[in-house]
Amino acid sequence: MTSVLILLLLALGAYLVAVLEAWIASGHLSLATPMLAGIALLGRESIVPRKPDRIFFEVGPVLLLISALLAAVVVPLTPNLIITDLATGALFINAALVYVLVALLMAGWGPDGAYAMVGGWRFLGQLIAYAMLIVMPITAVAMRAESLLTTQIVVSQAGLWNIVYQPVGFALFFVAAMALAFLPPFDLPTATGELAGGVEAEYSGVRLAVLRLGRLVLIITLAAATVVFYLGGWQGPWLPPWAWSALKILAVTATMLLAGRAMPRIREADLLAWCWKLGIPLALLNIFLVGVLVLVFP
Amino acid sequence: MSAQMFFIGFFGLAAVWFGIVVFRTFSMVRSALALLFSQTALGAMFLSMQAEFLGVLQIMMMATEMSIMAIFMVMFMMDPGGLGEMDMTHQKRLSLIAGLVSFVGAVAVAVFADWGPAASVVPDAAQQTVDLGLELLGRSMLIFETAGITILTAMIAATAVAIQSVTRSNEHGH
Amino acid sequence: MIVGARQGTMTRLRRLVSVSMAREFSTFLIPGPDIARAHGLDIAAAGIQLSASPRHASALLVIGAVPPAMLKAAVVVYAQMMRPRAIFVLGAEDISPLPSADIATGLSQQDLIEGMHQLRTLFAEGAFRPDMSDFDAPVLQTRIEYTCPMHPEVVQSEPGSCPKCGMTLMPRQAQATTGHNHTNHKEVDATANEQTVSSHDHKHHHSMAHDAPTKYTCPMHPEVVQSEPGSCPKCGMTLVPREALATQTHELADMDHGSMDHGAMAFMSMIDVTQDLPRSIDGLPMEWIEVPFGPFFPGLPGGLLLMLTLDGDTVAASDAHTLIENNDFPSGEPMDIASFAEHLTGMDPLVPVSYRLLACRALENAAQVDVFADIARARIGAQERERIASHLGWLALFGRQTGFDWLMRRAASLQLKVQNADFQQVVALRPEITVLMKRLHWTPLLKSRTVGIGRLVSDAKLRGPVARASGICEDARSKDKIYEMLGFTSAVGQGGDAFSRLHVRLEEIFHSLALIEAAGAIALPVPATIGNESGKGEAVVESPRGMARLELTLENGRVSAAQLDTPSTHHLTLIDQLTEQQELADALLAVGSLDLSPWEIQQ
Repeated sequence: MTSVLILLLLALGAYLVAVLEAWIASGHLSLATPMLAGIALLGRESIVPRKPDRIFFEVGPVLLLISALLAAVVVPLTPNLIITDLATGALFINAALVYVLVALLMAGWGPDGAYAMVGGWRFLGQLIAYAMLIVMPITAVAMRAESLLTTQIVVSQAGLWNIVYQPVGFALFFVAAMALAFLPPFDLPTATGELAGGVEAEYSGVRLAVLRLGRLVLIITLAAATVVFYLGGWQGPWLPPWAWSALKILAVTATMLLAGRAMPRIREADLLAWCWKLGIPLALLNIFLVGVLVLVFP
Repeated sequence: MSAQMFFIGFFGLAAVWFGIVVFRTFSMVRSALALLFSQTALGAMFLSMQAEFLGVLQIMMMATEMSIMAIFMVMFMMDPGGLGEMDMTHQKRLSLIAGLVSFVGAVAVAVFADWGPAASVVPDAAQQTVDLGLELLGRSMLIFETAGITILTAMIAATAVAIQSVTRSNEHGH
Repeated sequence: MIVGARQGTMTRLRRLVSVSMAREFSTFLIPGPDIARAHGLDIAAAGIQLSASPRHASALLVIGAVPPAMLKAAVVVYAQMMRPRAIFVLGAEDISPLPSADIATGLSQQDLIEGMHQLRTLFAEGAFRPDMSDFDAPVLQTRIEYTCPMHPEVVQSEPGSCPKCGMTLMPRQAQATTGHNHTNHKEVDATANEQTVSSHDHKHHHSMAHDAPTKYTCPMHPEVVQSEPGSCPKCGMTLVPREALATQTHELADMDHGSMDHGAMAFMSMIDVTQDLPRSIDGLPMEWIEVPFGPFFPGLPGGLLLMLTLDGDTVAASDAHTLIENNDFPSGEPMDIASFAEHLTGMDPLVPVSYRLLACRALENAAQVDVFADIARARIGAQERERIASHLGWLALFGRQTGFDWLMRRAASLQLKVQNADFQQVVALRPEITVLMKRLHWTPLLKSRTVGIGRLVSDAKLRGPVARASGICEDARSKDKIYEMLGFTSAVGQGGDAFSRLHVRLEEIFHSLALIEAAGAIALPVPATIGNESGKGEAVVESPRGMARLELTLENGRVSAAQLDTPSTHHLTLIDQLTEQQELADALLAVGSLDLSPWEIQQ
């Protein structure tokens, strides 16, 4: 029962992300836009390129959706509303989200098109940049909670949210989450100006709808993960827990979507250089600092 | 009990099947991703055996590693799409012999080694994670730390060997 | 009913789908949003969503008179659009070989808005149709040719095996620039082979001595020898007769590497097997693919076809040309003054005022006629207003290319405001432009994105902001007395990369604003009355992209010959140097920073 409820909430969340994105892109707020766009997309022709790698072409978008859904399985919205509270929940989120890369590789290699291929392999370079920056802040968060259970992580923030306790970790995780969801300025695989849509370019009809849905679910899952790890999950004064969760997740989503509009796309070489030369030392410093804090203030 | 055995068997067979696909397909990328899913099946096997941390870790690490292997295969092998249908396998007899020997050795180890008494109760996953952490920083600290440092040294050495001397002004443009 | 409707009868579900499609669909612009803005059309205000890929677009919007080569490219774009698809033409009559337009109107913002409204109605009613015919055009016919993956220069029209190595030939779509590609490969082949022939020649002769001519052998494993044809037991390649190999010393020498001793199991490393493939600077033998960027690529000027040979995501070679044939001056009958000026104005819709001014000046120079100072100042006002509009248009294109959404929208809306504004309105825009500049100054990642990209060495071919950004203080306006009177200063930068070009253009916007305020009036250039003069005249104008020069001959008040020299023609030749061995995104940014106008390129 809780599973069905959570999936419905996830669908609602994805819908709201689509509404937000359309609002930010065009300036008009229209609640019906994603639904109309979805129906229109399903009604259009759906073609297969001339010489695709058929398995990859079909599986790519589906794997993106599945990986985002699997990551959402361990995210708690309220103390009781979680599909499965895995003992290694924090690590499982990362494990599921790695398959976003595999999905994009398939979506890039499958259609046998130059733009898609370059977009897919570029995302691998992006993964090498952000992968450590996702895992190491999670390590520091788990250190404070002394557990990998996501519910325990939220409970451990009862006194002080992690965003204040480990701000460096938050900054790194936020940037890495945007890179994982390939949101601007990290939208290298689907760059409009450089690859005319990149990985998305060769998809149409139902498969494109699945790809876009997967991306929306990915964004909301990452926002939910950020809220759980750093913003205290469902905790807060007067409002009920689910309201706090919803508000915080929407706020994080809006921030992620707005941040990219204000800057040009990052160069891949720069992304790799900064993540490895600046990001990883900062992440190690974060772990060290959190370790000291955990020992000094038990 | 039987559900667990079923899943272990299922994922084990899936791992073997994906492993066979690695060599049967002509496409380099399919080969790499088939190996990836073979490892994922192994990770799922670990999960069915209630070794949760190990399973999740296996699933996570192997996806990243096999994808990087995929791009190296695309870079170094010709015809990564496999449309030329060229047989890329070499030294078939030697590898067959090596495979058989390893298989016999692994089965021998599995059957004849003394694994100790079978545990009747498996600690729950949270307790397993705590125990694993204590073990890593307790009895096995030396092993893991030296392994970690060795891997780090190998990474740095490989990068240093591969890098061409690039001065700062050369980084952008020519 | 739309011509490109989807097959099917209108059921209730399909009606729902049609209504949704009418409300939400994307449009693909031909030749591009830059031309749309140049014609004064506000795409965003008409509620049009642009799509980057034709696959995601439902409507094709053809704006203005489009040259035939571009129409052929538009056919390819149309064929890639998913049905239901519609065509909306603004201000063009004949668009064959595209199918007939579903909606055809004139070229104005009002027409655009009404047309979009009609288009939505058409989609809601006619998205599905029971009787549908497929769309085909001659340009869509593709020829399949067969090539060997290891020897790209081997090309045949039927399937078979490669005469050099025996591998099965792979099908591939015939490419227009095949010649260029193969020459590249041949050159690299030759150099790679020369190194190996000398060291292994003796080995090859040694093995030749022992064998009778009718034996079959494997090119990769020379120790495998059979009396009848078949496939190699070690690698599966088709065996090739011995004598066929004798004439190809260099290939065999390459593949002989692995078999150092006869009879032992040969292990072929990939390095040996891929000897023949072209290599880039880093030594990796990856497959080179030719990818077209353009002519309607988002972020590049519409009409520019940039063919890049990609080695992974690095550019190995480039080939750029424009789809707009520039019929400068129909030779034959002399043209009268007014039509000549109109012809030159219409040549480049992106900068009509500059070329109009150029025509007027050249005519006045030929006829030895002077203009009054206040007319000259008003002309300068118009010229500088166009410079501001052109640079804002380039900023919008730059924003689209780098995914900088805010800049794209802001610069586009400012360009539309400036373009046809009168003097008061232009002066009133100063605070908005200042805000834009300030925000650009504080944009994170902008500097790192552009610094060092597209570095050019100082060259005589450079003109305009591209030259000034490299430190060359060349500006046709500095020699003009009236400009001097208005207090003109040239904007010069150092560095010669995309970052300096961006800053030079930003500075020029401010300088142009100051010049307009000093000039005091804006009026489009009108050719002075000339009468029946004869003579030769020449003039230069500093167009927003660089100096343009016109030389013409007047005969009895009519123009009989004219020669035009445009900046984009020279800048096109720089693309090779800019994109070589650059990562794809950097290469595209470098090309974009040149601010080419495909309409004025003469080839």
